[in-house]
Amino acid sequence: MESGDLSESLRSHDPAVGLRAVGALHRLAEQTEVAAVARARQQGWSWEQIGDALGVSRQSVHAKHGK
Amino acid sequence: MFEQFTAGARVAVDSAHEEARLRGDRRIGTEHLLLGVLDVPDSVAVPALGVDLATTRAALDVLDRAALAAIGIDVEGVERPPIPVSRKRTPFTSGARSVIKRTVTEARGAGSRRIGPDHLLLAILACERPDPAAELMAHLNVDPAAVRASVKRLSGTGGQAA
Repeated sequence: MESGDLSESLRSHDPAVGLRAVGALHRLAEQTEVAAVARARQQGWSWEQIGDALGVSRQSVHAKHGK
Repeated sequence: MFEQFTAGARVAVDSAHEEARLRGDRRIGTEHLLLGVLDVPDSVAVPALGVDLATTRAALDVLDRAALAAIGIDVEGVERPPIPVSRKRTPFTSGARSVIKRTVTEARGAGSRRIGPDHLLLAILACERPDPAAELMAHLNVDPAAVRASVKRLSGTGGQAA
């Protein structure tokens, strides 16, 4: 189950692979956002600044990530 | 929908929900149901499938990473914290809904009034690629026909009560 070998065999035009990659990208984007927002808060960014950077409102970023 | 489910089958469905949440998936799919049946204590799923929950979770992650690699994205070493819990409820995929419906047929076929985790597993085994549970089982070299026979043998003809 080496991911390198598998990806080699999957580097085709199999739609199952492309669609799975989309789902994985959504999760990866969410995970990257969680990590980046936490770091920005630690470094003193305001919710407004983070919202602007993400292209969403201060309220929505705070509702999602504020504890 | 779940009135006839035994305690064990409910554990499987709850675990499937939790697996979807842990992964950050927005719907409960057949692959989460497969993980769910593997999480039922003393279930026939682990001996019948010949894999455990941790192995299956890892295999799903390998498939995801391979799909990302196929589009040129390497996530090795990338920080991946848990995603915050959404307030929205997590619906089933249409494939998962079909599996839930099929559990009724499997239970009837086994002569059982109640639906146990073994019937849920049998319903999952009937999935065909490109269904995600079928893809995952193929990746794990699980032979659905052989597992089906094992489940019937392990749970007895009357179906498992637990």
